[in-house]
Amino acid sequence: MSEEAVMPHLRLDPDDVGDQDAESLLQAIKSDLRYEEVIHGCLNCGVCSGSCPSHRFFDYSPRIVVQTVLSGDAQAVKDMMDEYIWACAQCYTCAMRCPFHNSPGGLVMIMREVAVWRGMEAVHRLLKPYGRVLLKVLSIGNQLTPDMIQPDFFPDWGPKIPWSSTDLAIKRKAIPVYTLQVTTSAWRVSPETSYELYTIYEETGVFRLIEQIDPNLYEVVSDMVEDLRDMVESTR
Amino acid sequence: MATSPISDKVRTSGWEFVTKTVDKRALMKAQPKDPREELAELEAKGEVKVIHITEENRPIEVETLLGRTKRIPTNKLWHHKSCGQCGNIPGYPTSIMWFMNKLGLEYLDETHQTSCTAWNYHGSGTSNLVALASVAVRNWHRAYETGYYPLIHCGTSFGNYKEMRNLLIEHKDLRDEVRRIMNKVGRELVIPEEIVHYSEWLHVLRDKIAALKVHDVSHIVTTVHPACHVWKLVPEDVIYDPNIYGGERPAPTTAILLALGAQVADYSTWYDCCGFGFRHILTEREFSRSFSLERKIKVMVEEAHSDVAITQDTGCTTTLDKNQWIGKAHGYNYELPVMADVQFAALAAGADPYKVVQIQWHTSGWEKLLDKMGIDWRTSKAQYEAYLEELKAGREPEQLYVPPLESLNLH
Repeated sequence: MSEEAVMPHLRLDPDDVGDQDAESLLQAIKSDLRYEEVIHGCLNCGVCSGSCPSHRFFDYSPRIVVQTVLSGDAQAVKDMMDEYIWACAQCYTCAMRCPFHNSPGGLVMIMREVAVWRGMEAVHRLLKPYGRVLLKVLSIGNQLTPDMIQPDFFPDWGPKIPWSSTDLAIKRKAIPVYTLQVTTSAWRVSPETSYELYTIYEETGVFRLIEQIDPNLYEVVSDMVEDLRDMVESTR
Repeated sequence: MATSPISDKVRTSGWEFVTKTVDKRALMKAQPKDPREELAELEAKGEVKVIHITEENRPIEVETLLGRTKRIPTNKLWHHKSCGQCGNIPGYPTSIMWFMNKLGLEYLDETHQTSCTAWNYHGSGTSNLVALASVAVRNWHRAYETGYYPLIHCGTSFGNYKEMRNLLIEHKDLRDEVRRIMNKVGRELVIPEEIVHYSEWLHVLRDKIAALKVHDVSHIVTTVHPACHVWKLVPEDVIYDPNIYGGERPAPTTAILLALGAQVADYSTWYDCCGFGFRHILTEREFSRSFSLERKIKVMVEEAHSDVAITQDTGCTTTLDKNQWIGKAHGYNYELPVMADVQFAALAAGADPYKVVQIQWHTSGWEKLLDKMGIDWRTSKAQYEAYLEELKAGREPEQLYVPPLESLNLH
C-alpha cells in the first residue's frame, strides 16, 4: 500500500471503510472533485426523469436523487445509497437533456463509489454477481472474456449460446487476429502490462478496497499478483 | 440549413424538437471551454505532454456539436481494443482491421493494453477517479511511446476517456496524483490531442469504404442505435453534420450507411439507451430484456420495418442481439439481426461473413438479411467448418495481422 496521503476530494480514504454515519456519507459525496462538475443547481423540472430508461421500469427518478442530495437530508441520501441509486442504467440521457447541465448519472456514480467504499449493507449483495468480472478486471485488466459466455449463466440468451462455448479454443484460433486467439482474456495481455496495472490498483487503494469488501476474492487475486510479479521480476 | 436526400428519408420526431430546443440551444448559449485549448496551454507551460496528431496520421477535419473542428487521424493508429468486442463480438475488431488492410493503412495491435475498466466501474463502483485516470493515461502513454495514435474501439472507453481527459486538464491535483503513479510504473503523464472513436474513423473514410462495396444494399432498411456513452457523455465532442438529420443528431454510423447506399429508417425511440445498464445486463436482467425489446427492437421492427439494427458500441450490440430470443416467452417473435456499422460495411464490401465478420457469434437470426444482401453465407459456413477441422488437426491459423515481435513481450 502506498504511504502517500490520500486526498479526500480525489478518492476516498480506505480507512473510512465501515463508516456509515449519514452526515459523513453526504460529506464524502459533496467533497468529491467531480461534485461541482455534475451538480449546478436544479429547477426540479423533471426533464431528466422524463427520458430516464430506469424510470420506466423501476421506482427510480434521477430528479429525486438530485433533489434529495441538494436538500441536505443526510439520512434520506443514505437510504437511497443502499438500493435506490443502483437502478440507474448509467446511460447519461439525463445529463444530455438537463437545462442546467447537471449530470444526475454522474452524481449517482459518486454515490455508488461512496456506498462501495463505505461497505454499505446492500453492496455485498449487489456485487455478488460481479465476482467473475472483478476477478478478470483485477487480474488482467479485461472485464469480459470469451470463456465467461457460458450457457449456464446466460440461458435466456437462447439456443445459440452453447455454440459459443463449445470448442472455444479452436473457434478463437479461427479469428484472424493473433492477439484475439485466446480464451481466458479478451486479448493477449502482456505480463508487463498486468504488472503495471497492479501498481495502479495498489497506489489508488483498489486492492485494499477489494480486501475489505470481498476477502476471498482478494486472496485469489493476491496469489495471482504475487506469481506474476515474481515472473516479471525474474525476467528483468 | 442544407437539405439532402438523407433528410428526406428521415421523419421528424418529437425527440428532434426536444434535442433542438433543450440540449443544443442550451449548449450553444453557454459553450463550455474547449479542453483542447486548455491542454495546449498546459503543454506550453510544460505541465503535460500531448500526443499530437501529425501529418503521418493523415487527419481529416470534421465539425462537432458546437461547430468546433475535430481532426480525426486515419493512419498509423494504435488499436485500443474493447474487451466486450474482442471477448463476445470478435467480428467487430476484425472488420476494422480488414478495412485498414484494404485501404493500405498502417496500424499497431499489440498486447501492452488493458481495458479502460469503466464498464466495471459504472456497474459496480469498485474503482475510483484516480484509478480510472491512471489506467487511461497508462494506455495513452503506451500508444505515445510506440509513435502510433490511439483509436478507441469501445463507446464506454471513448466516453470515459473524454471525461478523464477533461478532468485531468481541469484539476492539477488529479494530474499530480496520476503523474506520481505513472512515475512508479515508469511512464509519463500524456494526454491525446483528440479522443477518437473508431466510428469517427469509419465516418471520415466513408466514401473510400463505400467505394469498396460489392453488394447492393439499396433495398436494405437499417435502423441506427446511437450509443449513449459515445454521444451523451461529453456531448460537445461528437461529430454532427448539417447533411445528417439536419445536424440535430450525431452523424457517424448513419453517414456510412447512407454512403453505402442503404436506407436509414427513423424510429421514435432512437434516443433511448439499449437497456444494457452496465450492472443490469448481469444483475437486473429482466430490465435489460424488457427495455431492449419494448423500447428498441419492437419499435425498430414495427415502426421502421427494419431489416437490421446497426450499432456503434459494445454493450448495445450484445444487449440488442442477445435479448431477443427470450422475448418469445411473451410473444415477441422478432428476428432482427444486430451488428456494428463496421461489420455491415465489411459485409457490403465482400468480407467473408464467417472468417472476417465472425457473424456466427451473433444470436439473432442474420441469415435472411445476408440472403437479401446477396451474400452466399452457406458456402462461407462450409469453408469455416472445414477450416475449424484443419485447425484441430494442427494447421496454423490465418492472420489478418501479426503484431511485431518486439511489441508482444509475452515472456
